[in-house]
This record gives sequence, C-alpha cells and structure tokens, in this order.
Amino acid sequence: MSKCFIGLDIGSLATKIVLVNEGKLVDYRVERSTFDFKRVGNNLFNEILDKNSLNKNDVFIMSTGYGRNTIDIADDRITEITAHARGVQYFFPEAHSVIDIGGQDSKAILISKKTGNVMDFQMNDKCAAGTGRFLEVMAHALEVPIEEIGSLALNSSNPSAISSTCTVFAESEVISLFARGTSKHDIAAGIHKSIARRVAGMAKRIGVAPQLVFCGGVAKNVAVKKFLEEELGYGIVIPEHPQLTGAIGAALIAQEHNGS
Amino acid sequence: MENLEFLSECFMVLKQKKEEGKKVIAFISHDNIPEELIDAAGYIPLRMVFAGNDELMDASHDYLPPSTCAFAQSCIGAFSIKPNNLKFLDLIDYVVISNHCVSDICASEIISKYYNIPQLKFYVSYTKTENSLKYFKLELVDFKRKLEELRGSVIETQDLMNSIVKYNNFKRKLSELSKLTIPGSQKLIHFQRAILKGPDYLPELETFLQSQENAQKNEKGKPILLTGCSIFINDYLNDLIEDGGGNIVFFDTWVGFNYYSQIFSDEQINSSNDPIDLLVERFKNNIFGDHSVPNYLESKISQIEEFSINYKKKFGKKVGVINHIIKFCDHMSIMSSHLKNKLQEKGIQVLNLERDYSRANRGQLTTRIEAFLEMM
Repeated sequence: MSKCFIGLDIGSLATKIVLVNEGKLVDYRVERSTFDFKRVGNNLFNEILDKNSLNKNDVFIMSTGYGRNTIDIADDRITEITAHARGVQYFFPEAHSVIDIGGQDSKAILISKKTGNVMDFQMNDKCAAGTGRFLEVMAHALEVPIEEIGSLALNSSNPSAISSTCTVFAESEVISLFARGTSKHDIAAGIHKSIARRVAGMAKRIGVAPQLVFCGGVAKNVAVKKFLEEELGYGIVIPEHPQLTGAIGAALIAQEHNGS
Repeated sequence: MENLEFLSECFMVLKQKKEEGKKVIAFISHDNIPEELIDAAGYIPLRMVFAGNDELMDASHDYLPPSTCAFAQSCIGAFSIKPNNLKFLDLIDYVVISNHCVSDICASEIISKYYNIPQLKFYVSYTKTENSLKYFKLELVDFKRKLEELRGSVIETQDLMNSIVKYNNFKRKLSELSKLTIPGSQKLIHFQRAILKGPDYLPELETFLQSQENAQKNEKGKPILLTGCSIFINDYLNDLIEDGGGNIVFFDTWVGFNYYSQIFSDEQINSSNDPIDLLVERFKNNIFGDHSVPNYLESKISQIEEFSINYKKKFGKKVGVINHIIKFCDHMSIMSSHLKNKLQEKGIQVLNLERDYSRANRGQLTTRIEAFLEMM
C-alpha cells in the first residue's frame, strides 16, 4: 500500500479516526472521548494500524478537533473548521456551506466555490445551547435514549415553544412542560426546533446557501435536519458518515500537504 | 520582565511619589481623558488597563449583573479582591467618572462609592458639532477648575503647555515603536507599560528603540491588524494569536494607535495661545476612536483599508483583521457585523472575536483564531 494518511478528530464527546489511501476512505473507528482522550486516541490509532497491517512509519497523522493540540502522536494539526470544510467535499464536491453540530459546539462554514477553501465561519460561544450536549441533557430530562429523541419529535403535531436558549433554563422549562401534562412528542419537537432556530440564525449571519452539508454527530438526528430545513427554507444534505467529515478532511489535507 | 511583575514595580514607583506628596488620579481608560491637565496639576494620571479573569469577574457580581462589559466587571473585581499585583489600587486618591460608555460610568461610580474614593467628573460629548465642541471645552475648563481647587492654586498656562509637549513627545516615540518590524508581543509589552506609566516610561522606551536600530527584522507569522477592544495587561489573547501562527503588526486599538495618534504638530503647538483650545482641537480630530460620532465606522474602514494596501505594497502579504470584542461591550459588538461586511467587500478577511476573560472559553478562542489564520 502507498503512503497512508490518518485523520484523528478528537471531539469533546467522540473521537474519530480514519485511514485514507490515495484519496479514498479505507477504514475508520469511533469511540467516546472520555476524560482520557489521549488514551482513547492512542488506542484507536493502534487498532487501525493493526487491522490494516501498518506501522507508524507507514502513515502521516493529522489531528483535529478539541484535543488536536494535546495528542502527541500527531505529525501535524489543523482546526476542525478547515477539516470539516475539506471533509464534506469528499462526499459532496459541490458543497458551498457546512453546518457542523458536535458535542460541545456548533459551527457554520462557508466554502469558496473557486478554491474549495474556507471563506468565513461562525461558531457558537461557550454556551452549550445548540449543541449535542444540549440534546443529551434534554433526552435525559425526557427520560428517552439519545438515539430515539429525534424520531420521537417527528411524531409531534403541536411542537411546544421552548423559549430559553440556555441549557439549564431550557431543562427547567422542559420539566415544567412535563408537569403540565404536555406530551413527550411535543416537548421533544420544541427542543429540536429550538436548536434548529439557534443554529440556523448563526448560519444565516455568514450567508450559508445550497448546497449545504449538515455534519457532526447531531446530523444523525432526523428531527434536527427537518427543522433546520424549515428554518433555512431549503433542503440540506447529510454525508454517509456525518461524524467522520472532520477526520476525513484532516487526512485529505495531510495527503495534499505531503504532495500525494 | 513580564508585565505582571511590572505592576509590582509600579506599586513602588507610585508609593514613592505619594510619599513626595503627589496624588493619584485613576480612570477607566479611554482616549479623551485629558491626562495633560492631571499632569500639569502635579498629580499622577493612572489608567486602569488591567484585563480580568474568572475570579475578578465573579467578584464584580456583588454589584453588577454578568451582562455588564467584561472589562468593567474586571475593574470592579480588581478593587473588590485587590490581588497582590494590583495592591497599588490602595494608593488611588480620586477616580474620574466619565461616559465613554454606560459600563464606564457604572463601574467608576461603584468603585468610587463602595471603595470610598472621591470622584471627579469629566463628561465627553458624543458628536463633533459646534455645540459639542463647546461643551467639551466647558468640561475641560470645569475639570481644570476642580484640579485647581484640590491643589489650592491655579494651573499655569505654561505648565499645561509643558505637559502637552511632554505627552506629545512621548506619543511620538510610541509611534516609532509601532513601526518596528518585531513580534507583536514585544510591541504590546511596551505599549502596555507606557500607557500605565506615562512619560516616566520614556527612558526605557528610548533605550529599547535604540537597541532596535541595527537589529535584524524579526517578524514571523501571518500579519494581523487588531481592531476593536484593547489587549490589556494580564490578557492572554496575544499569546493565542502568536501560538496559532499569527503576529499582530498593527494595534488599531486604544492600547496602540488610538492613543499615540492623538498628537499635535509643532506648528499647532507653537501657534497656540490657549492649551485648552489645543485639547479641544485634538478631540475634534480624533476621528478613529469609537467615541467619534457620526462617522467613526467609515473613518475606521478607510483607515484599515489604507493600512492593508500599504502593508501589501511594502511586505507583499495580505493583512487579516481581528476585531476584538469584549463581551457586552455594546460599542464594539453593535458595529461588528457592519465593519466585517464592509471590509470583506474590500477583500479584507475579518474575524469578529467576541469573548470575555474566563478561562473556560480558551479552547474555543484558540480554534477560532487558528481557523482564521488557516483561512488566511
């Protein structure tokens, strides 16, 4: 096998690793980051090398994500903003905009049609509202598994109005709606609409437009996609592996930097 | 010597001056406080230019809600906690209440009221009309009168003129510093020290400038123009920019250009009979400060564009703009989108960087800065 490139995306909730060879995704792994994300990153790295019969010298590692600067096996590092912008183009070469909702933050990215590079971006601040963590807290409050909260929301015919943008206040609001007898479907729909409204507002500020790619772990949630489309007024696309776009982008950039 | 150690040195200097009978007049910094009048009165102008941290901001919440400008929160917190390196706050005799913004007034009044520091009021007109210039002059005359009451004698015209010349020469040296091809962090250290210590810092500044005369150019990283809020002492923002591969080549902020550009030509000084009129003239010509209404933004955009064009011609590199917005600083945040859009239309890349001083968002700030540098 010719020189391989590894993209290691250490997010606040999940660590993703991909192996790329000649511009193609060969293998990948995803695991929860935990507090010891260095150990998780190292384990995933060793696993993917073993599985593909590779040595460390056979690969170039580009780290990205929240823990990119602290993982010592990386040869180089790049921000997740640049990595996602490149990674979505692996799946959708015509992509013009990106919305990435991860565990700790959400981002909107504008891609230059001419160069494929990042033209502008917006990130939420340190507040957890509009992120995967917000959904986790709300799923816990509704006592439903995180994997099911999206489909629960799609069964609503009368979404509740969740006015709080702060995760802590929104959780109290959800509990009080619950106490008033509002159905789980309607509360769940209200929660998803609240995320969609917040993220779409941020994305509109930089002028996102079709073709818009939705990625990050939250892109697996069907209700967030539906309500985002309603807020934006057009359809959005989701890659086959929405959680991997950052890692794939990092690996592809590593390949380009190394002239392969 | 780091600037936190410099603060300790300031304590010793101020203490010594106090023992000589001088009084310390502090103010939350902005570019229209007439420090020359304070100096001419024989007092020491002390600019409060200290960035905060979580502890200082939290301490301020005894008085003000967290939705107050983070810098104002930190100033109150500094008086509330008085960390070791800010012990010289105990040496302040008067605090100036001014109206650069609502937070400025609130914070200054709270500091005066709860820490028993007598106040001196100096209000600044917002526009540059004939009327507002008249009011600004009245404020200057009133401020001078209050200082004269405190010292028990008149401030002589020649003494005020001497102070104006002293500050003018000092600012010219700062302008020379800004033109050096050195890392932004080195410039910033001298700007911060100079603004805190005033013209007393001139000998150290001159020594540094002389040491750079034959030095090799030492400017690495992607060139950044910093606009918006200043980087105050004890702020880690510049470290994040340099660690990410950037270098601030122009400080278009109060700690930087907006301070040292407030100078007079020799002709203005030589032809003036009334130094108060000179100070009014300076206020009138201060069109780049964010206190300049109504055309501040247009002037700012033209100025940044001009710098960008000249930098490209001289160094062959494009400058990126970081617009630094301290959270809840309405002055900066309200105008940030317009500034960004207008500069982007001119092909200049802009990062609107809104933040407070908490440690919690350091990771996100790093990502934003590094992503912007990658984008450049």
